[in-house]
Parts: sequence; C-alpha cells; structure tokens
Amino acid sequence: MTAMPFKSSQPLTIGVELELQILSRVDCDLTRGARELLALIERHGHPGDVKPEITESMIEVSTGIHERHGALLAELRGIRDAVVTAADRLNLLIAGGGAHPFQHWRERQIFDRPRFKQISELYGYLAKQFTIFGQHVHIGCAEGDGALYLLHALSRYIPHFIALAASSPYFQGVDTAFDSARLNSVFAFPLSGRAPLVERWEGFAAYFEKMRGYGIVGSMKDFYWDIRPKPEYGTIEIRVFDTPLTVEKAAALAAYAQTLSRYLLIERPAALSEDMYHVYNYNRFQACRFGLEGNLIDPATQTHRAIRDDVLETAAALAVHARELESDAAIAQIEAWARDGSNDARWMRECYAANESFEDLVWQQSRLWSGRD
Amino acid sequence: MSFESLFFLPRWPLPFGQLLWVGVLLVAAIVAGEAARRWLRLPRILGYITVGAVLGPEASGVITGETLGDLHVLVEIAVGLLLFELGQRVDLGWLRRNPWLLATSVLEAGLAFAAVFTLLTVLGERPVAASAAAVLAMATSPAVVMTMVKDLRAQGQVTERLLLLTALNTTYAVVGLAIIVGWVHLEHQRDPLVMLAHPAYLVGGSLAAAVVVAVATLALLKLLGRRPGFQFSILVAIVLLTVAGAAALKLSMPLTLLLLGVLARALDRERHFVSLRFGETTMLFVVILFAAAGASLEFSGWGAAFATALGFIAARFVGKAVAILVLARASALSLRGAWLVNLGLAPMSGIALLLLQDLARFDPKLGGEISAAMVLAITILAFLGPLATEFAVRKAGEAGEARHP
Repeated sequence: MTAMPFKSSQPLTIGVELELQILSRVDCDLTRGARELLALIERHGHPGDVKPEITESMIEVSTGIHERHGALLAELRGIRDAVVTAADRLNLLIAGGGAHPFQHWRERQIFDRPRFKQISELYGYLAKQFTIFGQHVHIGCAEGDGALYLLHALSRYIPHFIALAASSPYFQGVDTAFDSARLNSVFAFPLSGRAPLVERWEGFAAYFEKMRGYGIVGSMKDFYWDIRPKPEYGTIEIRVFDTPLTVEKAAALAAYAQTLSRYLLIERPAALSEDMYHVYNYNRFQACRFGLEGNLIDPATQTHRAIRDDVLETAAALAVHARELESDAAIAQIEAWARDGSNDARWMRECYAANESFEDLVWQQSRLWSGRD
Repeated sequence: MSFESLFFLPRWPLPFGQLLWVGVLLVAAIVAGEAARRWLRLPRILGYITVGAVLGPEASGVITGETLGDLHVLVEIAVGLLLFELGQRVDLGWLRRNPWLLATSVLEAGLAFAAVFTLLTVLGERPVAASAAAVLAMATSPAVVMTMVKDLRAQGQVTERLLLLTALNTTYAVVGLAIIVGWVHLEHQRDPLVMLAHPAYLVGGSLAAAVVVAVATLALLKLLGRRPGFQFSILVAIVLLTVAGAAALKLSMPLTLLLLGVLARALDRERHFVSLRFGETTMLFVVILFAAAGASLEFSGWGAAFATALGFIAARFVGKAVAILVLARASALSLRGAWLVNLGLAPMSGIALLLLQDLARFDPKLGGEISAAMVLAITILAFLGPLATEFAVRKAGEAGEARHP
C-alpha cells in the first residue's frame, strides 16, 4: 500500500491563508468574536473561505487557487472588505500583525472544536501562547519529488520571507527587540523547524509513516515546519510569514514566493545538500531578530551579507520570471521595501514611538488593514 | 491591684459604634458572596443582598435605618463608579455602524413601557402612576449587569449588547422620569412650562456637566501620563467629585456619570485614557451597594401586591423579548443570542428604587399607589435578575472565569 499519495496540481499556482486578529473597539485588546463574525460573513456571502482558528479571537481567511498576482490581490481585497464590513456591525476591529502587542494569553479562550481542545490539552500554556498570526502561502507542484526539491531549495530564502513579512516586534506589552517575535513561539513546539532532507516522495512518505508508527504524529498537520508539503492539495506550504498589516503586502509576498519558485525550478541554481542546513538556524535567527538588516550566510559561497542586499540581488535575478508570471509590480514592491529596509515591524515601532500607546498602535493597525484611509 | 488600675481594659458592655456594624455587614457580605460562588455556584451578588436583607432593619435590625442612611454616600459612590465604568465601555459609534441596534434599543424600552403601562391601566391605575411604573420598567440595572460582567470576566457579542442596551435604557428611564415629574407638577396646577423645563435642565445640565468634566479629565490625563495606577486613582477621585457636583446642581447623577464615561472615551482621540477596569479595589463599594440594597428590601405587605408585581415582571420581560427577538437578525445576532441578551436584561434597577423615592417626594400619593407592587417586583428581581444575567452570559459561552474558582 502506498501511504500518502501526492495529488498533482498545476505548477506555480498560489493560494494564501491569513490568520487575522479580532479586536475590541473599546480597549483594542483581542476579544472573543470568531463565531458571530463567521456566522455573519457566511450569511452575506463572500469570496474565498473563512474558518475558525485555535482561539475565539482569531479567524483564518483563505483564497482560491491563483495563477497571477493581480487576481490573488483582487480576491484578497474582496475577502478583506467582507470581513471588515461584518466586523463593523459587531463592533469589532480586524487587524494584521504577527502577534498582538499587549494581549495576555491567560485571557484567551480556546475555540470549542475537538482538534483545538486536543492541542490545548497537549501543549498547555504553549497552546495559548500560540495566539499568533501567520500567513501561509501554498505553491502548486505537479508531483512529490518536485515538491520536495522546491521545499528544500526555498529554505535558503526563508530569511527573506521572515524579514520582509516581520510584524511582531511587540509581545505581551514589551518590545522584544525582535522584528518577528511570533516565530519564537513557533520554535517552542517540538515538531517545528525544518523538514528532513529527503528528495524522493516515497522516501518522505516512508519517513512520515515511521513518525506515525512512533506515535509522534497523526497527520501532516502535526508538523509545524517552516515549509511543509501538503500532499492532499498538491502543494508546499510556506509558513514563516507573519500576517502582514495589509492585503497588498500579503499578495506581494505570495507573488515573490511564486516567482522565486519558478526561478528555482527552471534554473536550478543550487544542488540540495545537508550543508544548506548548517547555516539555517543562524540565518533564521538573524532574520527574526534584525529583520532586513540581519546577516545572511550564503551556504554555497560562505559569504556574509545583509538580508536586504540578498533580497535585492535575488529580485534582480527574477526579472524574466516576473515577466512570465506578470508579477513585476509585486517584485518591484519587494525591491523597494528591501532598498528602504522597511518592513511592518519598523512601521509599528515608529507608530508606537509617536504616541507611546499600544492601544493607539493597534487602532492604527486596524485602520491600515481596513484599507479605507 | 485596684479596679481603677485596670483602666486600659474595655468597659462592659462593649461600646460598639455604628461603624462596627458596618464592618460586620461587610465581612458577612463578602463571606456570603464567596460562599454563594464556591458552594452554591450562585452569583456573589446574591450573597451580598441576602446578608443585607438578613441584617437589615426589616429583618434582624442589626443594621438600623439610620446606619443605612449613613451608608447612602458610599452607595452613591458605588453607583457612580459602576455607571462611569459602564459608560466608558459602551461605544455609541456602534449605533451608527449598526443602526438596527439603535432600533432594538428604542423598541425594547418602548415595548416594555407599553406592556407595563397597558397592564397597570387595565388594573385601574391612573395614567400618571402607570406611566411612572412603566418608565422604571424600561431600565435594566447597570450595577447588576456591570458587576456580573466583571465578575464573570465576560466578553463577546451578548455581553457587549447587554452593556449597550443597559446604558441606553437607563438613560431613557432617567429622562422619562424627569418628564413624569414634570407631569406631576402640571397635575398640581403649577406652571405648564415646568413639564418641559425640568427634563430639559436635567438632560441638558447633566450633558453639559459631563462634557466639562470629561474635557478637563482628558486634559489632566494628557498632562500627567498613561501610568495605569495613577489614572485609576485620579479617575476614582473625579467620579467622587462628579457624584457630589451632580447632587449639588440637582442634576441626574446616573445620567451625568454614564455620559462622563461615554464622553471620556469618545472625546479621547489621542488615547490618553488607558483602558480602565475598576477591579478588586472598588469591589468594597460594590459589596456595600448590594448589601445596602438588600437591607432596603421590604418583606411585608406582599399578599395584596403579589399578583400585580408578577404581572409587572412578566409584562416587562415580554415587552423587551418581542423587540429583541424581532430585530435580532436585522441587527446581526442569532435568535439564541437575542434570547440570551433578553434574559440578561432582566435585573431591575436599584436606581429605580431611588427614583421612586424621589417621585414620592414630589407626590406622596403617587408614590403610595404604585410603590407596593414596584418594591415587591424589585425585590423579586433582586434575586432572580443576577441569576438570569449569569445564566445568559454562561450559556453564550462568554464567561471567562472558570466554573470552579
């Protein structure tokens, strides 16, 4: 019996999932409201898909499958408008951001569904600290071996994704000094990190079966890897992005991952080897801590450079692929952000410095998210 | 050793002052509150009220009417703090974003009024007396709702709507009663203008006072910073000042404090006002409030008024229920949620009792006509109301507190 077949999907298609904060208008803290919000959104119809998440103060929205950045962005805007309109009627605010700046996890309620109850029982306080908000980008792959190649080839660029998307500088009322404090919460889980370097899908399926045999995992969902295969969708899923403060940024990041994937699959610039992973944790830490200013060691050349410079160099190499995928505009945005060294974490720090109020910061985040300014 | 040399020992019988009995009341109420929560799984408020009722002048008389009078100022502070806190938790902008909520509010208060007015008129009350009772029926107790919400650390749609509707129907009742008082003046052949002037002064004056204090408060907070400990003490002090000021100016204390809370939040564009929860520190005032409310309850002359009181409660409940259920979908609430909001609105205002006494001052006859049934209804709801609110919040899944503390 072949365990876990990899469903073929159209290569280089993209889909985005975003975990969003549900906030009280009164004190800008996270608040319970997922159930009513979902009911109201469902009643009025909406593009994409909307689901409950682990706590009542979070919802997850997801797009359909897209070939182009433009269509993805249009759908994301439609979903955003539907969610914000419903939230208005329930006196709730919606915002992006990888973590709430001052929420206290003791106050959070775990959503009342069996899987979430089970996670909560297993992980204890970690499950509540898991009130963090990420963006997941799915990239379609034709078959399992190609998916695994792409997964490992992309791992070199994980620091780019982290640094560009970072939007969780504050956690539980303190400046963490990190640009993405959210990922520190993810790293606390035993099955987080990187996937083992296996290049053949049968080999990967065997590894999974072994892990299931040990009783360590029940399904792919139990791996909290930075990038993991999603065989039933025929995709790989990049999970290191903090939820950005706007849907425009979410779409640009997805397009960057898509264009980069085309470059990697067609040009095959580097061979896979375990050496890539020697620098992996170092690079990832640099990206979380220092954002675009972080240091990146290229595993192939052993050279050091700033992440922002590496993004610029990579973006330049993507030009032809961006034209093919019509993602030029998105790549241009990515380049601009890298050149200015600006990510959402920096915006949040500037916003907080102006008024020294976390409530005000959250308020501004929700204004930005609504796209109405 | 002579008897005189033992001067340092107390005399017998011990010279207990009234303060001691207030202390006894408080300790007993707090213990009863915890006992109610832990062993009976009932709201703490019921413990406070029961102890008040048992020690009060109507029952054992440990707390005399005189002591109760001395407690009045503390009760006013407690009500002031709770109304201010309620005010700063409701967001009137919500009514703009969801106009059906405003419709729900007007209709639930209106139908409760209509139902009670019709019932009492059919039972042969004069229109003015029926109107007075019907106006009091509109209001939900802000003190009970606010205390239950805090006690249960409740959060969610049912809770937020409960708080908003309570703030609004309390406002309607205060204004409505001012109009009734004007009506009473009119019946006594005084200047007809007074029927308009009195409510106008009460509403306009309370609003003006709230604006002045809110603006001054925000200026002070801007000057002195966001440290929560500081903001807490200065706001308690400002509430005290406003309670006293409203009384001196003969304004509506409940309305002024409610508006002060609303405005302090609404006018705070730069967010100098940190989110405020008067927590454990002000619990003592809340205990005094409910213990005193318990001590003020009357347990005599029930027979005659019993049917009317039950009819009053039923009419009020049905009036509110029809409005909230009919407009549930339009205001983006499930029918189940609407039903729970309606249950949560059951507590009747202790403020109603104060307002009733006010009314009796203007027209003793009017007070007498409706007061027996009203007092009984308030007594019944003093016990059932908190139960209904707790049930509603728990069933909505919005209680943050664990069931077993």
